[in-house]
Amino acid sequence: MFAKVMVANRGEIAVRVLQTLQAMGIATAAVYSDPDAKAPHAALADEAYALGGSSAEETYLDRQKLIELALSCGAEAVHPGYGFLAENPAFSRECAEAGLVFIGPSPETMELLGDKIRAKAMAVQAGVPIVPSSPLWSPGDSRPDELSSEIGFPLLVKAAAGGGGRGMRIVERRQDLEQALESAGREAASCFSDGRVFLERYIPAARHVEFQVLADSAGNTIHLLERECSVQRRYQKVIEETPSPALDAGLREVMGRSAVATAKSAGYANAGTVEFLVDAQTGEFYFLEMNARIQVEHPVTEETLKLDMVEWQVRIASGEPLTLSQDDIRPTGHALECRIYAEDPYADFAPAAGRLLAWRPPSGMGLRLDSGVTEGMEISAYYDSMLAKLVAWGPNRQAAIGRMTGALESFPVVGVTTNIPFLIRAMAHPAFVSGDYNTGFIPQHPELTSAPGPAGLGAAAAEIAELFWQSNGSNTARPTADARPDALGPWHGLSKAVYP
Amino acid sequence: MTPRRLQQIHPPAAGPEDSATVPERPTDRPEIEVTASGDGRFEGRVRLDDGRAISFLVHRDGQQVHVWIGGQSYVFSPAAPTVRVRGQRQGASDDIICPVPGVVIAVHVSQDDAVEAGQDLVIIESMKTEQIVKSPRKGTVQRVSVQEGDRVDRGMRLVVLHPLTEAPGGGGSC
Repeated sequence: MFAKVMVANRGEIAVRVLQTLQAMGIATAAVYSDPDAKAPHAALADEAYALGGSSAEETYLDRQKLIELALSCGAEAVHPGYGFLAENPAFSRECAEAGLVFIGPSPETMELLGDKIRAKAMAVQAGVPIVPSSPLWSPGDSRPDELSSEIGFPLLVKAAAGGGGRGMRIVERRQDLEQALESAGREAASCFSDGRVFLERYIPAARHVEFQVLADSAGNTIHLLERECSVQRRYQKVIEETPSPALDAGLREVMGRSAVATAKSAGYANAGTVEFLVDAQTGEFYFLEMNARIQVEHPVTEETLKLDMVEWQVRIASGEPLTLSQDDIRPTGHALECRIYAEDPYADFAPAAGRLLAWRPPSGMGLRLDSGVTEGMEISAYYDSMLAKLVAWGPNRQAAIGRMTGALESFPVVGVTTNIPFLIRAMAHPAFVSGDYNTGFIPQHPELTSAPGPAGLGAAAAEIAELFWQSNGSNTARPTADARPDALGPWHGLSKAVYP
Repeated sequence: MTPRRLQQIHPPAAGPEDSATVPERPTDRPEIEVTASGDGRFEGRVRLDDGRAISFLVHRDGQQVHVWIGGQSYVFSPAAPTVRVRGQRQGASDDIICPVPGVVIAVHVSQDDAVEAGQDLVIIESMKTEQIVKSPRKGTVQRVSVQEGDRVDRGMRLVVLHPLTEAPGGGGSC
């Protein structure tokens, strides 16, 4: 086993990986950008090193800086988390050349899976159905008609190097195609340094279901069942759950076998995820892509299987064999994950930055929060808008939804606008509660994102704000931690106030 | 009910008209129980008209009062002068305001361009996502206040349209 591992990431996933490394008795090193100097991941690690700079390019994407730091601090391996360099074969290769173990699949596997076109051909060879798609389009290419003729509209523009919904556009009409290609290509170039995109048939009412796989270097490969990820905005997941309400035992069995066949065909070693589209109308499924990294939503799998996926990543990377067999995979209960994003659910989920004036996560039985932020932290526009992931487990789906709802309603956050109000509504929405939803869930139900009326909570909030503001203005007494009536400052003299 | 000096600035009120108006409550003041207080902040419970007692947290940050209550977060600030309120009204606005913090990656219009409602004006990358700022109405560009590569903040002016009455050739009905 490794003596020391460097985590080349930030936010909740860096914290998550560091926690497992520490539980395994492995020494840890973190890296941080200037805005992250006081971030929890930097504080948690045994050692933390400044990358110098703010933008992703000059920090968490700077391969040379990261490798130099890993070598100079004596790390034997690098965990890339997800995003940034997690699926970058050049980084993986450079780590190996420098004598560092990259905790993830081989660079060759990453190259194969990172090219969505080659990955699809590989899936076809493994006997797994795929969604019809076009050859690649690059900026300056003047063949959009040729590419779209066999696909038909509506279609999806997707980045060849894509993931996480970056560089992806749905196009309903021919006249919007060029603009979508250019915009998606630009976004892809910015996110993945690869502006190539392709077209794919769009399947309406589709569900997004993925299978987690684990494979060791000897080729032992199992799957860890599915995750339902159909609640999406901007083609990015917001709510995930396992088991999927869309699969029966038969379909689960067939898809699980397809996932394992795909991973084996790719020569996959480590933790990976095979993504499928499931046509809710026909029950057919199609291979989309395989992600060569730990997924954001891995905790729901961990909570129903009671295992540590990051620990398996580290053990496999250190050369240990996979000692789990497919028969060992016996899930218990139901788990849900809600991604807490810094974004405005009432303004098309526009990103929101600011200072986290209050951040009070709930806790309790069956609840888990994977978070990369703390109260008082400045949330910058430099990085992704995900603040944390709230995970609720219950003996069944209804119990998990109930627990999640309670947790969301008792999670005070102010200073940064978050999607929590949306998540609360989603948990209560009949379509979600019934389990009969698809990737169109958010656009199909505008009531999920319409601004609340002034009645009820809004009226109480206005009253509280008014009292606080007005008495604060006329009373200079500084509030203290001691809530005696005479020390209450702003609240002094409220007619019906009751003090403890 | 306490006379209103603050205006709700987030979330936007659902009603089409005056966002600051809150319906009169039958009772005078809600029953508020304070359970903790700290620097510029109070926490406690409030009893709603339906009898439920729910938790709240109120935090003052400069000219803004943030209230978290029952899973919902609100931001209030002193009512803005009439001029600003008029400028913020959707549909007729002349200033196109930046919705997110980030970097300008494309500017699709220049001065004197005629634009349609819904036309792309400026693209901003924020938190690794492209945000397309579209024209809220038909009109003519008076000024473009940003260029590619500019770092921008939420609330900054990106583009100014000619006021409707002055729009050159603006014979259409808007």
